[in-house]
Amino acid sequence: MNEPTAPTPSTSVLEAHGLSKDYGGHQALIDLDLRVDAGEIYCLLGPNGAGKTTTVNLFLGFLAPSSGTVSVAGLDVARHDRETKAHLAYIPEQVMLYKNLSGLENLEYFTALAGRSTEGGVLRGALTDAGLQADAVDRRVSEYSKGMRQKVGIAIAIAKDARALLLDEPTSGLDPKASNEFSELLRRMRDRGVAVLMATHDLFRAKETGTRVGIMRDGRLVRELATADIGHAELESVYLDHMVEEVVA
Amino acid sequence: MVARTVLRNEARLLMADRVQVAALALFGLLFVYAVVNGVAWVSKQNATIEAVSVADVERSTALASELQRIEDGGDPGSPFRDPRSPNVLGGNRGARTVAMKPGPLAALSVGQSDLLPFYYDVSIYTNEQTFLQNGEVANPLNLMVGRFDLAFVIIYLLPLLVLALGHNVLSGEREQGTLALTLSQPVSVRDVVASKLLFRGVLVLGLTLGVSLLGAALSSGFADPARLGLWCLGVTVYALFWFGLAAWVNTLNRSSAWNATALAGAWIALVVVIPALVNIGAGILHPLPSRVEMISTAREASRQAVNERSELLARYLEDHPEMAGAVVTDAASSAALAWAATEEVNRQLEDVATRYDERLAAQLAVVQTYRFFSPALLMQSVLNDAAGTGGARYDRFEGQVRAFAEEWRQYFVPAILAGETMSVASAAGRPEFAFVEEAPGAVFDRAAMPLLVLLLLAVASSGQAAMRLGRVRSG
Amino acid sequence: MISRIARKEFVDLLRDGRFRVGAAIVGALLVVSLGAGWVNVRDARSQLEAAQTTARDHWDNQGEKNPHSAAHYGMYAFKPRFALSFIDEGIDPWTGTSVWLEAHRQNEFLMRPAQDASAAQRFGTLTAAGVLQHLVPLLIILLAFGALAGEREQGTLRQLLATGVTRRQLAIGKALGVGGGLALLVLPAAVGGAAALMMGSGATGSLLTRGVVLSLVYLIYFASFIGLAIAISARAPSARSALVVLLGVWVVNGLVAPRAAVDLSGWLHPAPTAFEFARTLDEQMANGVEGIRPPDREAITQRVLAEYGAESVEELPVNLSGITLHESELYGDQIFDLNYGALWDTFERQSRVHETLAMVAPLLAVRSLSMGLAGTDVEQHRHFATAAETYRREFVASMNDDLAQNSRTGETYFADDDLWETVPPLEYEAPSLAWVLGNRSLSLVVLLLWVVGAGIAAMGGVRRSESV
Repeated sequence: MNEPTAPTPSTSVLEAHGLSKDYGGHQALIDLDLRVDAGEIYCLLGPNGAGKTTTVNLFLGFLAPSSGTVSVAGLDVARHDRETKAHLAYIPEQVMLYKNLSGLENLEYFTALAGRSTEGGVLRGALTDAGLQADAVDRRVSEYSKGMRQKVGIAIAIAKDARALLLDEPTSGLDPKASNEFSELLRRMRDRGVAVLMATHDLFRAKETGTRVGIMRDGRLVRELATADIGHAELESVYLDHMVEEVVA
Repeated sequence: MVARTVLRNEARLLMADRVQVAALALFGLLFVYAVVNGVAWVSKQNATIEAVSVADVERSTALASELQRIEDGGDPGSPFRDPRSPNVLGGNRGARTVAMKPGPLAALSVGQSDLLPFYYDVSIYTNEQTFLQNGEVANPLNLMVGRFDLAFVIIYLLPLLVLALGHNVLSGEREQGTLALTLSQPVSVRDVVASKLLFRGVLVLGLTLGVSLLGAALSSGFADPARLGLWCLGVTVYALFWFGLAAWVNTLNRSSAWNATALAGAWIALVVVIPALVNIGAGILHPLPSRVEMISTAREASRQAVNERSELLARYLEDHPEMAGAVVTDAASSAALAWAATEEVNRQLEDVATRYDERLAAQLAVVQTYRFFSPALLMQSVLNDAAGTGGARYDRFEGQVRAFAEEWRQYFVPAILAGETMSVASAAGRPEFAFVEEAPGAVFDRAAMPLLVLLLLAVASSGQAAMRLGRVRSG
Repeated sequence: MISRIARKEFVDLLRDGRFRVGAAIVGALLVVSLGAGWVNVRDARSQLEAAQTTARDHWDNQGEKNPHSAAHYGMYAFKPRFALSFIDEGIDPWTGTSVWLEAHRQNEFLMRPAQDASAAQRFGTLTAAGVLQHLVPLLIILLAFGALAGEREQGTLRQLLATGVTRRQLAIGKALGVGGGLALLVLPAAVGGAAALMMGSGATGSLLTRGVVLSLVYLIYFASFIGLAIAISARAPSARSALVVLLGVWVVNGLVAPRAAVDLSGWLHPAPTAFEFARTLDEQMANGVEGIRPPDREAITQRVLAEYGAESVEELPVNLSGITLHESELYGDQIFDLNYGALWDTFERQSRVHETLAMVAPLLAVRSLSMGLAGTDVEQHRHFATAAETYRREFVASMNDDLAQNSRTGETYFADDDLWETVPPLEYEAPSLAWVLGNRSLSLVVLLLWVVGAGIAAMGGVRRSESV
């Protein structure tokens, strides 16, 4: 895993088969089949409570599945918790870091936890690649904006050479410019061959950034689309159709 | 690997937080202050022992030269002060000062040393009443409050330091949101939390043990490594217990504020309230009779004894037939009669003392049993024992003084009964006292049970914490 | 408006599990400590009474002997237990409880109960004073740390201020609310304590007055803590940091400052060691000191001969021994006054250091006042010791006087029970409330400064506190 292998576009990185999650009677996720390949950005769309975050947490091993399997890079998450995490990077809605440490020091810590090289030049390179201005690298994180903290999160993914990136509502609360920058960053990650799974509310961003979108409702994946095949307006109407269906049902 | 990474990060976080560094420095100052304080108290005791020993030697020398003068034909003066008379040479004029030096680690724990006597003047008149004397002159208010010694800092403040550093070891990470990012790395919560606690443990124990070694070096220069080892072991186990408790509370998945409140509550209960309850419980379950009985008995006995001297002497000789030949029987000397009276008073006092000690032992047994409810009480007994400032060492001293007083009497009483006179040679041959320290093994035996219980508590809480941490998956 | 806030705060408290648990525990401890203290004082008093009777019996029935021998036989005095000491036993376990009153010597009080206890007693015995001084402030902290910091965090402070409540009203209302919660706990305890006092001793007026002043002192102490807690809660950035700071204050107040005062007082006003004290006393007794010379037997003889116009000692109508013995007592008394006076003064100066440090830790002020009012402080121990010493001097003088007046020099003279019975018992009267408060005026001033200071700090803190 230390040798970054050049993945072919068809390599599956994230896979879920018949995945369900119960919370004491409430079915948060029902029979999900999902596959995200290397070099692909898969956007999970859906309202609150549709099961997006649950899906992300299942891939991270933060939750144990009620039935079905989740695997990362061909390894079952339930049985290979640490090995799969070595391939994952996670960007929560708010990337929270140690406020009293600099961005570089935070990056160094998490990269070291991941068991990867913490050589200064490599880490600074990762931060630059993630788009953090050079003069911010050594400042305390308490002075960082949300966007800057996300860039440190991306830098962690770069530094640990993650094969998959899991994001949970990363663009909420970002201004349009920062949001756009972030999409650009994700596309660069995709170009590095990373499989990206992003849970989001943002239809526009999903269409702009994603290669595929999955629409979720009540714990089920109800529709998968390739963004290349569809326009903004069309995506919106498909999405709303599914939501209206829900109301009628 | 994880441990090294976390330790390094924790060190960075600590250094970046000026308030925490200042608080730690303040704690460090308190530790050092406590040791300096203890060292000052020990040197005061040593100076006192030096002074009383010098006075003892002066007294002996003066008596010897007076005896020499009289043997050379000088005027013996009043018969009540004549050193040739065995009840003068063995009595208050010729009393021997016996002292117990502070233990090798006394600078670390004042213990009972400010309360109990550490030297006595032994004469043929030494009896149970002798042991009722006060220790060093001290303001009772100061005795009540107690001194600021290292044992106090360890028993009371060390847990607070541990709780301050450990109450949010997991909850804090969750609240600042860094736990999510940490857990998305290939590490287990258990390893991360254990490493964070390891960092704090090294910090706290490094500070405490370092200052303990400093105190030992300043006062005795590592004269007794076994006791120092016991001290360090005790401190380590005690700190482990509090760390284990903090870790366990963290696994309850509550907020840092909740953890802090719960742990502060546990501290109050274990360190403040339970010991106070044990003390009051012991007093209620086994109330001690007043020591006043000792006085009444002594006065009653001496009043009767004065009237019945001849009878008492006869009884004494019945009990001690080996002495009978020595006594001038037809006209028993007044000294022999007086001694018989003294002996009778002492015998009655011993009866009172024995009865009292039985009651006292029952009360102490309650405290000994119920101390297992409070790690602080356990810790105190271990630390005092290790330092040699606990009740046990003072009891031992008292016991040895009692035995020495008997030896002293054996030396003089036959001469009193026989009406003999003492010489320069018999003055030089008076018994000498040297306190015999307890073997370290015996101290360890006494400390073993409290240490074991503390260790079990520490293992139980941290084991429980480790088990629960194994189940934590998400941030 | 204020009453509304206070009522809301009060109701909030009653519904708060932490308050209920904390108050239940503190209340139970208060009840236990009052009960145990009461039993303890009752038993101690009956023991003392028995001991006093026995000691007097021994004196009265000592048989025929020379009055000076009787003075040597002496008497015992036992330190009384003051009725209010069931609330605060103060230094009682740490002082000797009995003193031998004999000819020629002022003795120390012996038999400190503490010497018979295990080292565990260093943690303190549960007393009502301990609960009131240590645990109630902790409860106050628990109740009040979130008073403002918490409302700010919840966002309710902004809403509250938007209704037009002034910050001053808010501060007073909060304080009253906390005080009301506390009153639920403390008032029944005070009533129970008063009942116990009545039952134990057929309370006299002066005792009740002392009890009332004692209650007031504690109320002022609690008020200071409420003020302090609100002041800190108003200034703290979060409820958690308010809690941390207040717990720090509590630790310094209850643990660090009292012990620091012990060492500081010892350094500023060192007491002699027992050995030094005894040696100085012996040395001065033998040789006198500046201005106090040992009695000159020859001069006394000449003076007495001149007084009675006698040529020789044998002609004197009085026993010269009785007169010289009395003279040597008077001389010894001066030496004792000098040395014991200096020692007691040192102790009192040390107590003053504790009282002064109350500027940093109000516990030290309330503790001094509490012990003073309960009759268990160093000054009142000295007061009794002085009374016992005066009594010793009087009865030894009366023995020597009897010897001088009723016998001739060189004669063998025995007195009997009739003489012993003329010696009155030691009637000890405890000092007045004014005397106690006079001794403790420094603590009183410092405690009042604390409550005023805490009040101002609370007002100021609330006024300046940011609403978001």
